[in-house]
Amino acid sequence: MTLLTIDGLKMYYRSDDGYVRAADDINLELERGQTLGLVGESGSGKTTIARSVIRLLPDNAEVIDGSIDFDGTEITELSERALRKQIRWQEVSMIPQNAMNSFDPVYTVGQQIVQVIRYHEDGVSKKEAKDRGRRLFGELGIDPDRVDDYPHQFSGGMAQRAMIALALCLEPKLILADEPTTALDVVIQDRILETITGMQEEINSAMILITHDISVVSETSDRIAVCYGGRIVEQADAETIITNPRHPYTLGLRNAFPDIGDTDTDLVSIPGTPPELVDPGEGCRFAPRCPFAVDECWDVTPQPEEFDDGHIVECHRADEADELRERAEQKETWEEVRERPSQPQGAGGRR
Amino acid sequence: MGLREYVVRRILQLVLTLWALVTLLFVLFRMVPGDPTTRFVMEYPTDAERQARIEELGLNEPLYVQYLEYMGQLLRGEFGDSTHYREPVSQLIFPLFMNTVVLMFTALLIAYTIGILFGAAMGWLRGSRFERGGIVAVLMARSSPEFWVGIILVWLFVFQFGLFPRSGIGGYGGELTMNFVDRYVNFDFLRHLFLPALTGAIVYLATPALLMRNTMLEVLKADFVEMKKAEGLPERTVLYKHAARNSVLPLVTVAAIATGAAMGGSVIIETVFNWPGVGREMVASVSRNDYPVAMAAFLLMGTSVIVMNFVADLAYLYLDPRVKYE
Repeated sequence: MTLLTIDGLKMYYRSDDGYVRAADDINLELERGQTLGLVGESGSGKTTIARSVIRLLPDNAEVIDGSIDFDGTEITELSERALRKQIRWQEVSMIPQNAMNSFDPVYTVGQQIVQVIRYHEDGVSKKEAKDRGRRLFGELGIDPDRVDDYPHQFSGGMAQRAMIALALCLEPKLILADEPTTALDVVIQDRILETITGMQEEINSAMILITHDISVVSETSDRIAVCYGGRIVEQADAETIITNPRHPYTLGLRNAFPDIGDTDTDLVSIPGTPPELVDPGEGCRFAPRCPFAVDECWDVTPQPEEFDDGHIVECHRADEADELRERAEQKETWEEVRERPSQPQGAGGRR
Repeated sequence: MGLREYVVRRILQLVLTLWALVTLLFVLFRMVPGDPTTRFVMEYPTDAERQARIEELGLNEPLYVQYLEYMGQLLRGEFGDSTHYREPVSQLIFPLFMNTVVLMFTALLIAYTIGILFGAAMGWLRGSRFERGGIVAVLMARSSPEFWVGIILVWLFVFQFGLFPRSGIGGYGGELTMNFVDRYVNFDFLRHLFLPALTGAIVYLATPALLMRNTMLEVLKADFVEMKKAEGLPERTVLYKHAARNSVLPLVTVAAIATGAAMGGSVIIETVFNWPGVGREMVASVSRNDYPVAMAAFLLMGTSVIVMNFVADLAYLYLDPRVKYE
């Protein structure tokens, strides 16, 4: 059953230079209990997309178009009060990147867990709420007595676990995990991820896992959506994205991360910088960095096209994927982009 | 280090600071030209008589003897006799000091309560009309001279509305025999207190309001504020229980020092409202070279600052769990 449907969402930020199109025509679906990986560079819009679900966005954010249907509730039209009381934390909770700074330093972790439980659930005594916190601590491998500790008394990994306890204390239907392991060292990263997915299964909640590291999502996600320049350029089940990607950006992203078993292949980074989102104009936003860009790419914005079984790609050359995939593995292919002029002669779409 | 050891060490530090203060005061006052007889040469027709008075006051002794005597006096809890009024300083200064404490404490309590809440709201509503208007209002209040604010309030509340008495401290008429509660907790006194306290509150409001706004702006950038919003907590809870609660920490020291310093009294407010406080007496005694009174007044003020600082340090232990006993 579908839990979350984002349909044609345009979430823009007002700025002095005009709208910043942080999330531009986003279509996503998430089933109950499933994990969606949102992958992309900084500024690709992945955090904006995820936070739209609880409308936790800066004041200058504005929904231009589209809808967000969460379990039958239209989020974009919900009143501020209903959003707070019914959706935030009750149904959708969050695991932030930096747990240490995400606890209020002047209250104990236990006090903060008790506060959120008692605000959302009527008739729960302080003691009951605290006991629930202690139980969660136990399940997450922290000494239950540490609920009485202040955030600064925790180590980084421990604080992240405490944050997971906070995120799970109301058994939400959806967890937004915004780079939950980025601030931790690699050894702990895996364990925290396992903890999150384990607990997630236990309470059968869905998760949106935001990361810039495609290897993180490949292990934990059922489905992966790749963000670029405020759009989702490719989405499919995790298996397909890893083995059979069709968008050149996804191909490049795969190259940019080391495969520890394969020491022969050089790391290849994607040349160039992310696009300007104030007035992106017509044409594919990845074209300036794409080694396979043809004239059409500069002039016409590619529309989502569905390949087999929910594999949706926004690329004019997606049907040539088999050939492009091979070329994308060559380092030279990407280096050519660096040397070519920023825009080919005769392409007139971009001002 | 345990809490007890920390407190004991801070108290020792406090005693040391007090000793330094007393010594400094003693030296400074003896460096001032002249002596208590200088202004009253007419009282002493002959040099011999004047000399007798100086000897009576013990001012002919070497400085270190005077210093030791003074310290001994203080340890016995005495401040000596005023050379001007010729009566014990403690009888003279304590009632005045209490008047000042009551006035200043009321003014600061109003200023810091309103200032903190107002500043928190200004920071929360950054960029709004409320914030811009608030800053202008606060800065205007801050830049207005105290005597001018006082005069305007007197004009408005006394002469236009006739609501409050013009000046003084009320009907107790300096009865020092009355106890604290009888003297200060009565309607007449509160009516006399209103205008001078309001004047002080208006002038002192700016510091907490602006400081609170600034620290709020910093705290609002912190991840936990966003997190508390994500938790769905009501705006008022996020604003006051979390953001403002964290922003108030730097204000504790400022409030403590301001309170301490205010205990020296405000000469201007006391003059405008004819308030029998320690501020005016301090100025008068200095110009009279009345060492015992002046030193007692300064000592009370300095002690207040030092003690309030100590209180602030203890308050931090309670307010900020990250503070360690160092």
